[in-house]
Amino acid sequence: MEEVARMKALAGIRVVDFSWVRAGPWATRWLGAFGAEIIKIEWPENERGRLPSTTTPQHLDVNLNTSGNFNDTNVNKKSLSLNVRTAKGLDIVKRLIAVSDIVIENFSSRVLRNWGLGYEEQRKIKPDIVYVSMSGYGHTGRHHHYTTFGPVAQAVSGLTFLSGLPDRPPAGWGWSYMDDTGGLAGAMCALTGLYRRNMTGQGQHIDLSQMVAGVPLVGPALLDFTVNGRGLRRPGYPPGNRALWPGAPLTANYRGGPTVAPHNAYRTDPGGYNDWCVIVCQSDEEWRRLVEVMDAPVWAEQEKFATVTGRLQHQEELDEQIETWTRTLGKYAVTEQCQAAGVRALPVQSAEDRVEHDPQLRQREMYLEMEHPALGRYKVQNAPFKLSKTPATNSMPSPMIGEHTREIVEGLLGLTHDELRAGFADGTFWPAQRARFPYQEEMLR
Amino acid sequence: MTDTSSLPGPLAGVRVLELADETGQFCGKLVGDLGADVIKIEPPGGEPCRRIGPFVDDIPHPERSLSFWYYNTSKRGITLDIGSADGRDLFRRLAATADVVLETFRPGRLASLGYDYAALSRQNPGLILCSLTPFGQTGPWRDYLSSDLLHMAAGGEMASSGYDETDVPSAPPIAPGGGNAWHMGCHFAYMAIMAALVHRTASGRGQYIDVSIHEACALTTESAIASYIYRGEVLQRHTGRHHAAGPSPRTQFRARDGNYVCALVGGRLNPKYILELADLLDTNGMAGDLRDPKYQDQAVITANSSHIIDGLVAGFIASLPAEEVYHRAQERGFTWGAVRAPEQLLGDPHLFDRGFWKEVAHPELSSSFTYPGEGAIYNGSPWRISRRAPLIGEHNAEILCGELALSIGELRMLMENRAI
Repeated sequence: MEEVARMKALAGIRVVDFSWVRAGPWATRWLGAFGAEIIKIEWPENERGRLPSTTTPQHLDVNLNTSGNFNDTNVNKKSLSLNVRTAKGLDIVKRLIAVSDIVIENFSSRVLRNWGLGYEEQRKIKPDIVYVSMSGYGHTGRHHHYTTFGPVAQAVSGLTFLSGLPDRPPAGWGWSYMDDTGGLAGAMCALTGLYRRNMTGQGQHIDLSQMVAGVPLVGPALLDFTVNGRGLRRPGYPPGNRALWPGAPLTANYRGGPTVAPHNAYRTDPGGYNDWCVIVCQSDEEWRRLVEVMDAPVWAEQEKFATVTGRLQHQEELDEQIETWTRTLGKYAVTEQCQAAGVRALPVQSAEDRVEHDPQLRQREMYLEMEHPALGRYKVQNAPFKLSKTPATNSMPSPMIGEHTREIVEGLLGLTHDELRAGFADGTFWPAQRARFPYQEEMLR
Repeated sequence: MTDTSSLPGPLAGVRVLELADETGQFCGKLVGDLGADVIKIEPPGGEPCRRIGPFVDDIPHPERSLSFWYYNTSKRGITLDIGSADGRDLFRRLAATADVVLETFRPGRLASLGYDYAALSRQNPGLILCSLTPFGQTGPWRDYLSSDLLHMAAGGEMASSGYDETDVPSAPPIAPGGGNAWHMGCHFAYMAIMAALVHRTASGRGQYIDVSIHEACALTTESAIASYIYRGEVLQRHTGRHHAAGPSPRTQFRARDGNYVCALVGGRLNPKYILELADLLDTNGMAGDLRDPKYQDQAVITANSSHIIDGLVAGFIASLPAEEVYHRAQERGFTWGAVRAPEQLLGDPHLFDRGFWKEVAHPELSSSFTYPGEGAIYNGSPWRISRRAPLIGEHNAEILCGELALSIGELRMLMENRAI
């Protein structure tokens, strides 16, 4: 293998990051993993992402620097504490944009424009700037002023409806899927705009809507409606974990796979909250393999289960019988026995299972420890892609609030040390009356 | 508004060869709709995922799969048996012209054909080869079989989604539908490919990318991993709302028309919010006792949160259709939404304003159909569906004869020998 210098894909790229809460920071986390310099602009009085914290370790005080989830969401970034709502703060921002490549934010739709930092102003400062706005409904369209959290974006875009048991309330998504996915969409926009800029020399404003970004994820179901006139409000939908609810008409499942049985979650030993394993047989051949794995019980040899049509028709009995077998084994044992025989099966895994028990994630080094100055040593999530020449490995823990203010203001923008101190005194870099962290006292010496 | 219909997309000039099944075809669509020239290489007879429904007019046929249609817009298509000697040679020649090869073969398959990254990059040092597979190219699960449901289980989506015990006793964990394991993998694959393309603009060199769908899914449960790592907590499932370590107020309410509304109220109750809530509920005369001055005391609010949420808010929502609640609430600054079935989106005026729906021509059926569009508007370099999904081998002559200079006779010979 030829020797290549290990470098970062986005080396030399600088991002002005106004984003907060989750979706925006999840976007810039990945730009940071690719090696861009992420300058996160924060203000302790109206910060959203560090506090309130439900992920501070029990032995630590909750403060701006001890949220575990913030740490995982904001690795590979620097933090500049700055009051953008002052003339002096705004001037600093403009100087920063002048030496940056990307501006990214997930405020409501008119915030940056109201600050005098809309795209037209940004391009006066930096003609080829790539500006990614990640508001709930986008900057365009009559509901641009509506606001979202992940669950609302999921509900309105149709995603929530796809999850649940028939004739029950939607089960939905147990987390802000559209913060995760909206974040990825933001990173995708930034990378795409950056590539275009490198090829054409032109910047642009990319207007992402978190809610609208959910709609392309229900594409086949939408086409079933626009082409066939079939909506999803129909008996037997959504079909839980099955491809088809027993007794429902034979329609598509929109899961990107065939409509088959078995296709379900089954309880496993010892019957705890997350002791479940899913099994799917996509062909009669795979079903015969499963029968072998179960030691060919008499019930499974019945003619009615030999074909996919029969298995779909007698799905309730089929699932009950399979579960009598899975209940005798642990979920990893079911998985290993099935997969060894060429049967699709995997365990339902909690967070603990993924971090502690998943042999694949362990071998792939998904969770590696990093030292954080306020939190201590904890595992941090890694990237799901391995780039041979520009690995996207985590290089820095999340910043403490304002940790890099001096480095950025003096080192990058060329302000004097006296100007930094003056900015702390007049409330530009930190609220004048607010207690400072020791590292801030240190940077003011 | 200026007419931007003729401007090139942001990925104009990028050529992508896609050798992808249902797990990776969405990634090809993502780059294709943004202007890349995507050539989908299918096995002779067509890619097996053309057999996934629903189908046009419910007539099952590989040219009528709506799933295939949706995930393969803006691509040209050729057929090629890359296991045959002729197919391997044609693939090699095409790969010499490509910026990106995206493949979803089982680990080791492409290398067994003689096309690992080293071989492909020798003839084209700028080439980016992205392998997108269920578990990645290494590890004990590398050769495991998978499906969307399997990824939702092992990735942690199911452990977070389901029902409160009081709503549905003994409910299993629920895997959200829609084929989102494939979306998660493809979003991350797109990012990695784009980072490699940006890197190439500076270095001139391509690289190899190994993407794991399992890892993409395992990364997509928000704070579940952090709750465990930092606090040792394993989260419980709740009906239509976030996983949590303990009990939490409900956020999903049934409206008058039987549809549901997602209303985030718990955790926000304070004296100012109470007054705003009273105004909202009063639009239907249902503020109840919310204007009682006692609710200007945080302690009283907290003590009565169940009355406010499960009584007043639930009652207000039950008195109106879900869409009506959604718009009344949002117009007053409440971050609430209707839980819509996808078909309700067609009438959404906001999506209309954003030009979201696209009419896509299907000349072979003498018809056109409405497709969903883009989440992000790329001002100056528009997203667009440049063509419907390719028919099987539709561009064989255009690409193999037009670009690789095969004669019509050679094309016929390849067809007869099942190489295309």
